[in-house]
Amino acid sequence: MSDGTDHRPGRAVTAAAIAVLVFLQIPVLVVMLAAFSTTSYLTIPPKGLTLAWFGKVLADPTYLAAIRMSLILAFGSTLVSTVLGVAAAYALFRRTLPGSEAIIAFLMAPLVMPAVVVGVALLQFFSLTGLRGTLFGLLMAHVVITVPYIVRSALASLAGLDGALEEAARVLGATGLEAFRLVTLPLILPGVVAGALFAFITSLDNVPVTIFLIGANQTTLPVLIFSSVEMGIDPSVAAVSTLLILATAIVLILAERRFRLHRFV
Amino acid sequence: MMPVRHALLILAPLGLVLAAFFLVPVLMLLPTSFGSYVPGSGIAKGVWTLENYLRIATDDYYREVIWRTLGLGLGVSLASLILGYPVAWLIARGPASWRVPLILLVVFPMLLNLVVRSFGWIVLLANRGLVNNLLMQLGLITAPIKLMFNLTGVMIGLTHIYLPFMVLMLVAAIRNIPRDVEAAAATLGSSRTHVFLSVTLPLSAPGILAGSILVFVLTISALVTPRMLGGPTYKVMATLIYDEYVQLLDWPSGSALSFALALMAIGIIWASSRLARRWAGMA
Repeated sequence: MSDGTDHRPGRAVTAAAIAVLVFLQIPVLVVMLAAFSTTSYLTIPPKGLTLAWFGKVLADPTYLAAIRMSLILAFGSTLVSTVLGVAAAYALFRRTLPGSEAIIAFLMAPLVMPAVVVGVALLQFFSLTGLRGTLFGLLMAHVVITVPYIVRSALASLAGLDGALEEAARVLGATGLEAFRLVTLPLILPGVVAGALFAFITSLDNVPVTIFLIGANQTTLPVLIFSSVEMGIDPSVAAVSTLLILATAIVLILAERRFRLHRFV
Repeated sequence: MMPVRHALLILAPLGLVLAAFFLVPVLMLLPTSFGSYVPGSGIAKGVWTLENYLRIATDDYYREVIWRTLGLGLGVSLASLILGYPVAWLIARGPASWRVPLILLVVFPMLLNLVVRSFGWIVLLANRGLVNNLLMQLGLITAPIKLMFNLTGVMIGLTHIYLPFMVLMLVAAIRNIPRDVEAAAATLGSSRTHVFLSVTLPLSAPGILAGSILVFVLTISALVTPRMLGGPTYKVMATLIYDEYVQLLDWPSGSALSFALALMAIGIIWASSRLARRWAGMA
């Protein structure tokens, strides 16, 4: 019985689904429109079009410093999380250690804990240890919030692995490290890259942890947007947001082409 | 097979990082939540009290914020379920060539910066925002209607943000339903609506539960969207914690509220995993 015509979504369902998908894109489109608008409040149709806000953002040292800080944290924490997370997943995936399930639950715990709670806990901890406002402290905070994504994707990729392949490499004389590097790693790489991409985006997105930990002259891009919106709508916020939207779209398309990202979501 | 000693050695770095920068900081928050806050001078030394927790349970304002937070969690889960089901159904059961583009349209807003998405809703919902301007141009209203800094704005924003998670959970659940079951029901004379209500919907219940729990927990934990669309006055638990730490500097009260929020989130996840296990046992 595979003639599926009777349980295909009908016209009403299709229309509703498309309306919801449009709803999902609306704020994105609105932000992009606002970035090119000459007036600070958006109207439809826009009163005039300009690129001035992009120029303003790219000449503003505060924005540039925030973008730089965000990229340093995102690249740094993704790198550290990927190395530590893949190693930990490799130690755990065969469940040889006693209490493996409990250890995995512990590694995933930062995902369950509300981010704001992680934020205030680290605020107090960093205030006591003098790490508040340091790059090292921020980097470690971002490792904590990004590493569960790596552990989860690495464990899932390792679970789908044929253990005989690595055994074969060992029989043929490879050391444990060689077998991992030459056999296992290439096989789990797409899953690990997908996890690293989610980790990168999570770091780049984070406000609720970062906002408690930054020092007086420090900020990241989302925290800067968050705090400047409290002062009122400014089209330069729309311009910098548009840059982020374009960057996200490019990353998504590249990840889909290269790794067929949709398999991992 | 890797010796236990090697396994421990490559597990240790991450274990130590998480112990030092997650477990210890959270545990150190516990004594703070039993401390007493003295305005102007900080935490009183050597004083242990339950007043921070008692206040959460008895103070009218705290209770209002907690009920509002839980209400939002329920409302956003329900809205995501109703809006998300048709999308998930179309992805899982629609034309095969639509599948990848539709998934990407769901994933794209999900990957997009949270602050940017909330800002988009501000551009739309502010007093001089796009929606009010449009309604006034059309002559439907004469003065702007309040769409932000209240329940409406926070509900719309949070539903938009967490809807993709629900859709992805539902897609996985619907794809797990054998098509044969639906086809059999249809062959036996069930109408399309009846097939949906008596076969598809009940068999996707595990996905509905998982998606709702996920959206509920994310919603009650959210800080950015409630702050940007709810403003400084329409508070939820996370924004109240933020204010107690950053503006009032009342760390004892803020940490007690943090534990209350964490307990709710963890408790709900624990209860739902028990429920899911019981369901799995019945099947």
